[in-house]
Amino acid sequence: MAQAEAFETDFWKDANLRKAWDDIVPGAPRKTIPYTLTKETIELYCRSVGEDHPIYFDEAYAKTTRYGGLIAPPSIHILLMFSCTPADDWMRSPGTVNAGQSWSYNIPARPNDVITLQARALDKSIKRERLFVVHDNVFFNQHGDVICSGRGWTIRPE
Amino acid sequence: MTTSFENLNAGDSIDGPKFAVSRESIRLFCDASLDYNPLHLDDDYMKGNFGKTNFGGIIMHGMNNFGLISRMITDWAYPAGAIHRRLETRWVKPVKPGDTIQPTGVIKSKQVTKNSRWVLIDVMVRNQTGEKVATGEAMVEFPH
Repeated sequence: MAQAEAFETDFWKDANLRKAWDDIVPGAPRKTIPYTLTKETIELYCRSVGEDHPIYFDEAYAKTTRYGGLIAPPSIHILLMFSCTPADDWMRSPGTVNAGQSWSYNIPARPNDVITLQARALDKSIKRERLFVVHDNVFFNQHGDVICSGRGWTIRPE
Repeated sequence: MTTSFENLNAGDSIDGPKFAVSRESIRLFCDASLDYNPLHLDDDYMKGNFGKTNFGGIIMHGMNNFGLISRMITDWAYPAGAIHRRLETRWVKPVKPGDTIQPTGVIKSKQVTKNSRWVLIDVMVRNQTGEKVATGEAMVEFPH
């Protein structure tokens, strides 16, 4: 498990601390925390979606590629979204339904990168009695380079 | 034939690998993504209604679809020296344990910009009965 000792897997535990739809302010930054990406967490993520390309596992092979070393799959931001946010982040509210996401990729994340996130709700709306929030996110490495940026559309439980 | 920007045409298809969804695969995705939303874990919770929707049991993470599509795109792009630059997806139907899903792509168009060359790809994921569970589009760069 990715840094399990520090991660609360019971999403009910801090549910009362998380913002409901009414409390979310579009434009207000979300609290975020730096996260050191490891080779092991990349490998676990790869296993969960069947990624088996050697550029994620084989250092000798990876050195021969344009990237010059091991990288993480582009979709590693799926992990980073939770690893870079604290337990009271509203993305963890039980019943949050993901309706869709769009992501742009600049440079790959790599093992031992210290990843930071700048994130906010960008918009909220009501459609067919459902409470929507659009979230806006940019991940950076320790050099300040953009790894990827993306938006997601979630349906809020309350 | 090796994939290259020049020999790609609108309508060309890309097939991703089939993926068998199980309670174990969903749990593994929880551990790998740190997304422990009870939608993916808690059978009792999933007996309830979500507005007008009742899923009838735990469902796979929508972002598991996203990861499978992204895997298909990179596995196609890397051998061609191309770079996966963008992916947009929408979930249209829940995926449940016992389903088998498969991502596919169809080349939509090509475009040359000031500094590079781009391929736009319509992507989708279907389940074992052919129903679309996710749709979207991807963008791949073929650098000069």
